[in-house]
Amino acid sequence: MRHRSPGAFLNVRVVTVGLAGLALSVCLHARASAAQQTAPRVAQSSPSNSAGAVRPVPGNRQVIDRYCVTCHNQKLKTAGLMLDEADITRPAAAGEVWEKVFRKLHTSTMPPPNMPQPSIEERKALLSWLETSLDQAAAAKPNPGRTDTLRRLNRTEYQNAIRDLLLLDIDATTLLPSDESGYGFDNVTVGDLPPALLDRYISAAQKISRLAIGSLPSLESDIIRVPPDVTQEDHVEGLPIGTRGGVSVHYTFAQDGEYDIQVYLTRAYNGDVEGLKDPQPHEMKVLLDREPIGTITVQKPANGDDALLDKNFKFRVPVKAGPHEVGVTFVRNSSSLLETARQPLQAHFNERRHPRLTPGISQFSITGPYGARVADDTPSRRRIFVCRPAAPREEEACAKKILSTLMRRAYRRSISDADVERPMAFYREGAKREPDRAKPQGTSDGDFDAGIARALSLVLFNPGFLFRVEADPNGVPAGTAYRVSDLELASRLSFFIWSSIPDDELLDAAIRGELRRPDVLEKQARRMLADPRSYNIASNFAGQWLRLRNLVSVDPNVRLFPDFDDNLRQAFRQETELFVDSVVREDRSVLDLLKADYTFLNERLAKHYGIPGVYGTRFRRVTVTPDSKRGGLLRQGSILAVSSYATRTSPVLRGVWILGNIFGAPPPPPLPNVPALDGNVPGNLPIRERLSLHRNSPVCASCHRTIDPVGFALENFDAVGRWRDSEGDSGAIDVSGGLPGAGDLKGVAGLEEALLRQPELFAGTLTEKLLTFALGRGVEYYDAPAIRKILREAGPNRYRFSSLILGIVKSVPFQMRRSS
Amino acid sequence: MTFITKKALPRRTFLKGLQATLALPLLDAMIPAATAWARTPARPVRRLGFVYIPMGCDHARWTPQGEGTLGDLSPILSSLEPVKKQLTVLTNLRLEQSYPGTHDTANAGFLSAAFAKHTESSDYHLATTVDQIAAKQIGRDTQLPSLELSMDLNPLAGVCNNGYACVYQNCLAWSSPTTPLPSEAHPRIVFERLFGEGGPASARQAALRSRGSLLDSFNDEIARLKRKVGTSDRARVDQYLDSIRQVERQIERAEAGAKENTTPDLDRPVGVPAAFADHAKLMFDLQVLAFQADITRVVTFQLARELNNRTYPEIGVPDPHHPTSHHGNDPEKLLKISKINAFHVSLFGYFLEKLQSTPDGNGSLLDNTVYMYGSGLGNSSIHDHENLPILVAGGAACGIKGGQHIRYKNGTPLANLHLTLLDRAGVQVDSFGDSKGKIEDLVDPASI
Repeated sequence: MRHRSPGAFLNVRVVTVGLAGLALSVCLHARASAAQQTAPRVAQSSPSNSAGAVRPVPGNRQVIDRYCVTCHNQKLKTAGLMLDEADITRPAAAGEVWEKVFRKLHTSTMPPPNMPQPSIEERKALLSWLETSLDQAAAAKPNPGRTDTLRRLNRTEYQNAIRDLLLLDIDATTLLPSDESGYGFDNVTVGDLPPALLDRYISAAQKISRLAIGSLPSLESDIIRVPPDVTQEDHVEGLPIGTRGGVSVHYTFAQDGEYDIQVYLTRAYNGDVEGLKDPQPHEMKVLLDREPIGTITVQKPANGDDALLDKNFKFRVPVKAGPHEVGVTFVRNSSSLLETARQPLQAHFNERRHPRLTPGISQFSITGPYGARVADDTPSRRRIFVCRPAAPREEEACAKKILSTLMRRAYRRSISDADVERPMAFYREGAKREPDRAKPQGTSDGDFDAGIARALSLVLFNPGFLFRVEADPNGVPAGTAYRVSDLELASRLSFFIWSSIPDDELLDAAIRGELRRPDVLEKQARRMLADPRSYNIASNFAGQWLRLRNLVSVDPNVRLFPDFDDNLRQAFRQETELFVDSVVREDRSVLDLLKADYTFLNERLAKHYGIPGVYGTRFRRVTVTPDSKRGGLLRQGSILAVSSYATRTSPVLRGVWILGNIFGAPPPPPLPNVPALDGNVPGNLPIRERLSLHRNSPVCASCHRTIDPVGFALENFDAVGRWRDSEGDSGAIDVSGGLPGAGDLKGVAGLEEALLRQPELFAGTLTEKLLTFALGRGVEYYDAPAIRKILREAGPNRYRFSSLILGIVKSVPFQMRRSS
Repeated sequence: MTFITKKALPRRTFLKGLQATLALPLLDAMIPAATAWARTPARPVRRLGFVYIPMGCDHARWTPQGEGTLGDLSPILSSLEPVKKQLTVLTNLRLEQSYPGTHDTANAGFLSAAFAKHTESSDYHLATTVDQIAAKQIGRDTQLPSLELSMDLNPLAGVCNNGYACVYQNCLAWSSPTTPLPSEAHPRIVFERLFGEGGPASARQAALRSRGSLLDSFNDEIARLKRKVGTSDRARVDQYLDSIRQVERQIERAEAGAKENTTPDLDRPVGVPAAFADHAKLMFDLQVLAFQADITRVVTFQLARELNNRTYPEIGVPDPHHPTSHHGNDPEKLLKISKINAFHVSLFGYFLEKLQSTPDGNGSLLDNTVYMYGSGLGNSSIHDHENLPILVAGGAACGIKGGQHIRYKNGTPLANLHLTLLDRAGVQVDSFGDSKGKIEDLVDPASI
């Protein structure tokens, strides 16, 4: 990922072809060093072994000697792998070594293309022997690996847990620092608790309990900003039909009271309000739950000076506590400009290139409450107050009931009387009526609520909520594989599928000790997959696996891609999320992710793709024909854009991305200290020719010969995912590409076909990514047998999505853990 | 700019065209607490700060001519003219421990001068960074021993998985070899860390007491947890307990500060400015504020992270930073890199001038504050850690000479500078990282 050389600078790949190293064209260049830890690639090999006794095939040793040992021997130590003395008759004795060999052979990434190759039969026989013996050994003595004992909730999990615990939507990005990733996921390196984070956890707990209970005085202000590159000439999803531009957000008001909503218009660099050219007035509306609560006419002032135009765009409105939809938008003018004039571009936000035609909203703030009153009925309060004390003497018992109910869900376990003692002490302290504090009018429970709010902040700031702890059971000897408890299993399951806490049904099953029963576990997993919360697989898991998260920072060059705006960026993400979710929800084959005859579009995206007949901002499922060039992940704008640069495509980035995330043979990282190639590469050469220079350099070629052809196959898609047959003056685009094991191929269709010819490789890669996400640790060589088992069982089902999920849930690494 | 003091400026200043700074409503109930606002001249304090820029520089336009007394500033550094007397350029410093050369180890090595264990798991290992060594001593008396800031709000997926956990690429400050410190890019969160959520003194104190009792309870739970986990995990739990101690101290100091009712009237930043420069300036403003209120004396600030693909169309660089940094000596790309370098430096210049114009003790904040600015990569095009772009600014009262260009003939450990800065901040250690001595030329002989 590091050297995005456009040709001028080129890497020399001399050292450190990691253990997962790709083809080394010249063994002499290789030197053992820096063990690159790369998760082993695992996949199902051809089913060739007969059941029963397994004996080493006598030819295996010779195959290894002939095709591998030339480089991988004690003397050269290529990639730190020495096969001359490794014992092929007992692969399990050196599982790490032989799993590596298995992966390389299976993905045809070894031996290197320019070296002698074993015959198909020889390859098959060796693979079959390795698979059978490694898997048998694993079955006899499973190694489930060890997820860290102490893992805190990451930001996404925290946000989801609050949603499920309190029915409260929060934006955790404004409360907690971001998480770091390992192995491509942000739930791996989560064992730390630095002071700054601890400090944030306290603040978050206090804020959330105030917001959920809505009883304590607090004046808050929030700004809702519309990204500057949003085009606002058309209807915005979520706002009423007949409106134009603006923004609509879900916002939770803490208390009943009055709130100020202040709106600002977008302005150009010189300070003028954008899109306010003619004297035509624009009617701006503020909406609460889609009902207008304020109107302002926006019009160019007579003297032309609009500096103070939006200074007083302020509304004070009474709002009931709880979640509401707040919108600011314009009434659509029957503008002949937009209706008749053919606009060459859909994007309108850049004052110089494609200016706004009408005024837009840049941001609005919500400040309040003024004259606050205790909230009476909100979803959070209904959720929290499972009882209401009718008389002061009932308060203690009711508080206890409320808190123990909350704690059970928050801590994901049953709650004892001792557990509730401390929260009750907090409750009593919070409920204490200050002598100077008047009893709230008409209620007897103002202080009861304050007590609950105080105790709730304690529950939220408790390791039982913030941490997932998996401790070795007492008396288990070191290094033993043991089954995790039912409660631990319940959390593993809910954090895997929902990235959130278990719900009551799952928790009940675990507390009853039934979750470990295979039928109960399967039933729960299926139920959870069917639940809307499993959208998490598309948004959170795929957001990281497919790097949809990176779309926010995709910012194509305005000159080269003038028609890119935030509307399109959001549409990209939405398409892929909905598409992945459809595979989950309809329990399709995961191979459909690579090739499908449908996708999800709205008008903006359909226009971008050149697909006619899709109108409006709403996304809907659209059947696509082959000539639309769409269908399947590799043809989606999201993925094509995140693997491009702001100015151009990058076959290198795309190649690395597909090899690592789809095909399952991640190239080793770029080499450190690479001197630049001599001379300069003219920048006006087509990308293929520029890259050819480094494929001609032997040291660079060792990896780029594999990487670049994969990316070339996608060259029909430009840096924002549009189809193109030619590029600039260079004429027709050459999409000849290749894939290890599949040889030469042409274009995206050829690439998809080649990937689908070895479906177990893609299914295996996805399984590995899912397992990493499920376990919160890197997938290691000893997980390979479990993954092969999942694939063997899912294969006949054409790798239906649920078969991978259930396979993982039933697997040794998911159900067990190794003691320290 | 964004922080408006009641005396100096009207409460709302309408800045035409600068949307970023608009709409920061001042809520009277949120006026924050600040500790000892006015510094007594008798006890000047010393402060250390570090600013990180990614992906090295265009050396031709960075390095000034000659050596010794700093002559004409180079094109990239020209915006620092107003603070030239307090500026030192250091040429030919290197990071040996960051090899094999990568973006991850460039960031990780910048303040640690240490080797980053090659892992993606939670067993990452580096070293205590120079800022944290300073924080343990000069940060003892302040509410926050140190403050970690950055600019990138969105965590990215899959950009730092070359076998290195993302902590190496994203965290500059490490309080122990296994404790990377997260940084904060959201101005509002930074503000609240510094000043709390505000309110009158009594409410602030009540809020702090409430935090304290929550923390007590948390402490008990963690202590219980420690008994539950095996020996191998106890070290981890001990780290949690250390963090608890530290936050306890923060709360105690903030409580003491809340009593002194000398609160400045500040607007609490609500959003994140859209433009990079506005966001960066706001983050620099917060540093000035933190120093002014003596809430912290040690700051690290990652102005952009390694491998960043940010584009800078506002300065004529519509190309993403990272691939452009692989310039292969292409003059056009080098020019663009120099523009990015100059842009970043100009933001630092904005900050230095602000420090210079803020009185502190007998001089200015700049006199009592030393900042190191630079990158862990030299020539990003080939991922080397040689001839790093490094500046030292400020610190006249700490004995930093200023107005110099210190040019080494041979690569010299960056850790020598760390050691010297620690010494100037009054922190005595024998060595740091791979240091081989101090940089005597940096120091005004009269101050010794």
